[in-house]
Amino acid sequence: MTPPITSNNFIPAARIALADPTLQEAFTTGLRGVRANRLAAMNAFGAAHREALRQQGAAAKRHALSRLPELLEQAETRFRENGAEVLWAVDGAQAGQYVLEIAARHGVRLVVKSKSMLTEEIGLNHMMEQAGIETLETDLGEYIVQIEGGTPSHIVAPIMHKTKDSVRDLLIEKLDMPTTDVAEEMTKFVRGVLRPGFINADMGISGGNFVIAETGTVCLVTNEGNGRLSTGAPKVHIALVGIEKIVATLEDYAALVQLLARSSTGQQVSVYMQLINGPRRADEPDGPEHVYVIFVDNGRSQIYQTPYAEALACLRCGACLNNCPVYQSVGGHAYGSVYPGPIGSVLTPLLNGIENAAPLPYASSLCGQCKEVCPVDIDLPRMLLDLRRDLSARGKDGRVWALGLKGWALLMASPALYRIGGKLAALATRLLPIRSLPGPLSGWTAHRVMPRFAAKSFREQWNDRQKEARDAR
Amino acid sequence: MPAEEQSVKSREAIFGRLRAARQPFAGARSFAEPIPTVPRTEPDAVALEARFVREAEKINCVVHHPADAQAALEAVLRLIADDQAVLAWAPEHIPLPGLAEALAGRGITIAGAKTDGVRVGITGAAAALAATGTLVVSTGEGRGRLASLLPDVHIAVVRREQILPDIEAWFAHLRATDPQVFRAASNHTLISGPSRTGDIGGVLVLGAHGPVEVHVVLV
Repeated sequence: MTPPITSNNFIPAARIALADPTLQEAFTTGLRGVRANRLAAMNAFGAAHREALRQQGAAAKRHALSRLPELLEQAETRFRENGAEVLWAVDGAQAGQYVLEIAARHGVRLVVKSKSMLTEEIGLNHMMEQAGIETLETDLGEYIVQIEGGTPSHIVAPIMHKTKDSVRDLLIEKLDMPTTDVAEEMTKFVRGVLRPGFINADMGISGGNFVIAETGTVCLVTNEGNGRLSTGAPKVHIALVGIEKIVATLEDYAALVQLLARSSTGQQVSVYMQLINGPRRADEPDGPEHVYVIFVDNGRSQIYQTPYAEALACLRCGACLNNCPVYQSVGGHAYGSVYPGPIGSVLTPLLNGIENAAPLPYASSLCGQCKEVCPVDIDLPRMLLDLRRDLSARGKDGRVWALGLKGWALLMASPALYRIGGKLAALATRLLPIRSLPGPLSGWTAHRVMPRFAAKSFREQWNDRQKEARDAR
Repeated sequence: MPAEEQSVKSREAIFGRLRAARQPFAGARSFAEPIPTVPRTEPDAVALEARFVREAEKINCVVHHPADAQAALEAVLRLIADDQAVLAWAPEHIPLPGLAEALAGRGITIAGAKTDGVRVGITGAAAALAATGTLVVSTGEGRGRLASLLPDVHIAVVRREQILPDIEAWFAHLRATDPQVFRAASNHTLISGPSRTGDIGGVLVLGAHGPVEVHVVLV
């Protein structure tokens, strides 16, 4: 039986993913092009320029985080001047309740949604469903996830886990699509299915990639155009944005939005960069009559108070996922979180509680790729290590590991014990053909051959050579 | 309790926690002299226009270079072909003299803003950005957002002198001229080519929810 997907099931879920050939094929083909495109786009003007852009992006985000309370206040004031309404939600449940209240206020029956990781995080679709409001995901990938009844496996490409063939089969099964193998025709088919939704919906819901404080602007970045339709066609638009999405100025936005595209999909810029200042003006021929901006905390202000505040600089570009050897091998679902990969292994314990995501800080070889590709230079390996330390301090290590560490500490603190231990290990591994370790230690040798210890320890060899050198003189 | 009342309390709680924190990244500052993402190499307006055309074509726009206003009008009418209706900005915002008369003369109507099923949409632009082949469309009186979005074919008529180097230059231009212009519009959209998706098996498909074709008519 498939284990329920929670972050604490990472290891069994990863095993299942590794044994699934379709999944392996989907991630191999899905990630290959994305990685090459990112590399080309980031290096288009040389390595020095790339690093300068990363440092510029890193500075813009850290500047915004350092002044977060005042920039949030400025954004709120500007939004109100622009005619948008601003609400503050401490958590997902409250944000959902606001959305339902606004929907009721405007007699909303059908909602179109543009892709938003925050709404995934807070489970908004479920709340809408419970309240009996029909909600259509409109990003192609998210829509396929929705009709499948699944969850996204990547923060940018939600159906990274599905091959073209499995998408075809799903569309035929659920929507009676005329048989085709061509991605273009499948896309056209879904466009036709969703178009009436955009025209008839009473309300559109989006996230926000950035919020510009100085102008009171919600910024959305999309390629498909569903973001524009969701926020431009219905009479009400709600943007749910995390409080960390603030940037100070138009210039900071310009730097970050281009980094996001290069880092995420390898485009120079995304097809649509929307800058939304508020509801339609009296003389404008179309657009929403009401715009609500809901700033959502949901754990972010707690993270802000910790040494993990750097995680709040994340642009959600997905580069650390695409370049992580662990994510590449096991895919997104094994993490049991809407945020998989290295950034997910940091955010999930911080947002959901470290005891609910204990394996994730260990789901990394600490190779450092994630920091190197991060467009805003977030030190993910450092935070993964710090989280391991936190787990250890909470005694969440497991008995064998804790006992092992105790034994190791004992051995390392006593030169005599260390020497004897080394001798014994050398003897044992040379006399007995030990290929794998027994019991609780077997995890270590499951994918490795137990090496034979050298007959002489380093210390002994060192002393011997020193002696030889002395004798030779 | 209505949302607005709860929001006041939640706001207090959130700001309380943020202000209680030891300010992270104290002293971090955005670059005082921003580096343009794409290095600027075009020495003059001619080179800038060539760059715009090159970049726009790279991202699958079709760029038209009509010799004069009459040829521009003809190019647009050719794209409309036999259609009976188009979506469009108010003609006075499209830099194409005689457009309104030409449409009326052929019995082509301008449909209501939210009409689906119309094949062609015609707009002007607030600016065009050379480095990325981008069109800037801003809303305002007679200028909606759906004309460049609902139809399969989007035609943007752009004056050559509207071409700027890049996004950074557009913002600098706004600051230098009238900073209020930015907030006066409810929506600015930077359009770079036809809509696209790569969601199905990583295959790039042009034409997702937005236009399948983007035509830029330079005048």
